[in-house]
Amino acid sequence: MERSDVRNLYRLALFLAFAYSLPFAIGLWYGAVRVDERWFGYLATVVLSGILQGGVYAMFAVGLTLIFGVMRIINAAHGEMVMMGAYLTWVCFFLLGFDPLLSLLLTLPVAFLFGVALQKVLLQAVVGQPELTALLVTFGLGLTMIYVAELIFTTDFRTIPYAPGSVQITSTITVGQNKVISFAIAVVISGGVYLFLKLSRLGKAIRATALNAEVAMVCGIAVRRIYLITTGLAAALAVAGGALVSIQFGFNPETGVVYTLQAFTIIILGGRGHYVGALIGGVMLAVLEGLVSLMIPNGTAMIELAAYTLMIFVLLIRPGGLMGVKDA
Amino acid sequence: MRTQAIRTLALAVVALLALEGPALANHRPNNEVLIGGAISQTGPYAEPAGRQVNSIKLWVDEVNARGGLLGHKVVLQLLDDKSDIQTAIKLYEKLITEDKVDVLLAPYSSGITEAVANINERYKKPFVAYGAASSSIWEKGRKYIFNIVAIAEDYQKGAVHLAKQIGVKRLAIIGQDSLFPRTAGKGAKDWAKKLGIEVVLDENYPTKQTDFTALLQKIKAAGADAVISNSYFADSAAQLRQMRELNIDFKLYSSTVGPGLPNFAEQLGNTAEYVLGFSQWEPIPAILKHPGMKEYTEAYEKRFGEKPNYHAGGAYGALQVTEAAVKKAGGFDNEKIREALATMEVTTIFGRYKVDAKGINDHEGLTFQILKGHRRVVWPEKWAETKAELPMPEWSKR
Repeated sequence: MERSDVRNLYRLALFLAFAYSLPFAIGLWYGAVRVDERWFGYLATVVLSGILQGGVYAMFAVGLTLIFGVMRIINAAHGEMVMMGAYLTWVCFFLLGFDPLLSLLLTLPVAFLFGVALQKVLLQAVVGQPELTALLVTFGLGLTMIYVAELIFTTDFRTIPYAPGSVQITSTITVGQNKVISFAIAVVISGGVYLFLKLSRLGKAIRATALNAEVAMVCGIAVRRIYLITTGLAAALAVAGGALVSIQFGFNPETGVVYTLQAFTIIILGGRGHYVGALIGGVMLAVLEGLVSLMIPNGTAMIELAAYTLMIFVLLIRPGGLMGVKDA
Repeated sequence: MRTQAIRTLALAVVALLALEGPALANHRPNNEVLIGGAISQTGPYAEPAGRQVNSIKLWVDEVNARGGLLGHKVVLQLLDDKSDIQTAIKLYEKLITEDKVDVLLAPYSSGITEAVANINERYKKPFVAYGAASSSIWEKGRKYIFNIVAIAEDYQKGAVHLAKQIGVKRLAIIGQDSLFPRTAGKGAKDWAKKLGIEVVLDENYPTKQTDFTALLQKIKAAGADAVISNSYFADSAAQLRQMRELNIDFKLYSSTVGPGLPNFAEQLGNTAEYVLGFSQWEPIPAILKHPGMKEYTEAYEKRFGEKPNYHAGGAYGALQVTEAAVKKAGGFDNEKIREALATMEVTTIFGRYKVDAKGINDHEGLTFQILKGHRRVVWPEKWAETKAELPMPEWSKR
C-alpha cells in the first residue's frame, strides 16, 4: 500500500467519524438526545433496523453491480425488476395463496429465465457498445415494464400483509418480524451468490470474464453463455429483493425508480463491482438516514440531502468508492 | 383634457359592457342558454373528473325536464382538457370569448383550477369550483371564483377534535413534503392550538420515503400520544405497518387521503382497523339528510350503475348553487350572478353553501373510522353513523 493510499484512508476515516457524529452533535444542541435507557433503546432500534434494511438493499444492488462488472452495462431497469419481483410475489400471495417465502422457489427460476431471455433478445446487441447505448436501451426497457405493469395491475398501491408481528429483543428494542425474515433471506441469498462466484468453476468463469472478456474467451470460456447466466442471476437477485421489499412496503408500478436510485447510490458508495462493498454501502446509507431522521429537528425531510452529501464526499476522497480499487 | 376624454371613453365602454351582459342569453336561437366548461375526460384526472361529468349531465337533463333554467333550455358545452393545465387555459379562453357561454363550469384539480381562475377573473365570469381543496387559490383577492368543498386545512379538523375528546395532550403532526400535505398539516396545527393540544413534533418526510422506523422512534421519544399524518396511500400504509412491527401504540392515528381509497382496508388487513380518515361527503342520505340527497343518489345510481362518490356529489352541489344564483340574479348578468354567489345561503345535496369574504365555503367534511373493514362516519357528531372506537386498542391486544 502506498503512502498516499494510507493517508487517504485516514482522511476517509476522519470524514466518516465526522459525518456520523454530526447528527448526535445537532441532536444534543437541540436537546433531542437524552441519556437514559429508553432513549438508547430508540437509538438502538434505529441502528438495528438500518442494518436490517441495508442488507436487503445491498442484495439487489449486488445484481446491478454484477451486470456492470461483467458486461459494462448500466442497467437502468434494475428497479423495475425489483418491482416485477414485488408483483410476482403479490400474485402468488393473493391469487394463488402461496407463502411469500415459498413463492421464491417459483419466482426465482422465472426471474432467471426472464433475465436470460432479456440478454438474448435485447442486451446481447449492446454489449461492447458505448455505455450510453446500453443505458438508453435499459431505460426504455424500464419504461416498458412500468407501462405493462400499469396495464395489468393499474396504478393502485398494493401491499402484502405478511408477518406483521414484532420481535422483542430487549425491553426497549423491538424490530419487525418481516424485517428480520427479509434480512435473514437476503444474507442467505447474497452469501450463496458470493460463495458461488468465489468457489464454483462457473463463478470463477464469470469473474474471469469481468476481469477481461477477451482473455477469458481465449482461455476457452464461452463468454456469451456467461453473459446469459450473469443477467439471469442479476434478474433473480432483483426479483428476490422485490419479494423482500413487498412484505415490508407498499408498491405500485412506479416504485421501481426509487430502488434503481437506491441501488446506484449503494454501489457507487461501496465501490463498483465490489460485493462486500455493496453490503457496507447499503448498511452505511440506511443507518445514516436513520440517525439524521431521529436526532435532527425536521431531519426526516433532510435524509436525501444527507445520503447524497455522504456519497459525494466519499467519492471526493476515494473516487472508486469505499472498497473500490483506485482506477475503477 | 386628454384624461377627461379617456375617462369618458372608459365610461362608455363600461356602459356598453354592462348593457351587453343581461342580453346575452336572449341572443341564442330557440330560447337556449349555453352552459360550458372544460373538465378532464382523459389523462390522469379522468377517473375523479369523470364522476363529475356524470353529475353535470344528470343535472342538465333534470333541469331541462323541469322546464329549463329561467325558462331557457340548457345546452351543455363540455370540453376535455386532457388533464393538462395549458390545454385548460386555451379551452377556457375559447369558451368565454368564442362560444360566449352564459354560465361557466369549473375544471377539476387544484392545479388546473388555479390556472383557470386567472382567465375567468380577467373576463369577470364567475364559477363555483368543485374540484379544488387548495385554499391558496382564494388567497389572491380573486372575486369571481367560489369554492364548495372543504379546504385542505380542514381535512384533519375532525381528527383533532376527536383527539381532544379522548384526552390527547401531546400531538405529533407528520406529512409528506409537498403542497397539499403541508397545507393540511398547517390546518391541523391551527386546530390543535385552538383546542389547547400541544404539538410536540411537526415533521415532513420526502415524497418517496418508505422506512419510517426512525421517525416513529422520534415521535415516541417526543412523548406524543396521537399521530396526525398528512399522507397518501403508500406512506400511511407503511407508517401503520411499522407502528405495528415496532409495537408502538398511539391513542389515535389519522391520515388525510390513504384510508379513503377503496382498497386500503383490503390491502392492509386488520392493520387498517381503527384508523381515521377524511371524506368530503358520502352517499348516505339517511344520515346526512340534506334535501334532495336521496333522489339524487338514486337517480345517479340508476343511470351510472354505481353510488356517487364525493367528487360527483360536489359537482352536483355546485350546479345546484349555480342554479340558485342564476334564479336569484333573475338573468345571466355576470355581476348579478357573482353578487348572488357571494352573498346567498343555500342547502344542496352536498350540504350548506355560504362563502366567506374570500369565497371559501365553510363546508363540513366527514371524518370516518375503518371498523371491520368498512368506513363509518364518526364525526361531526350530528352525522355520526357510530361512535368512534378510541383510543385505538394496543397492537398486542388485537
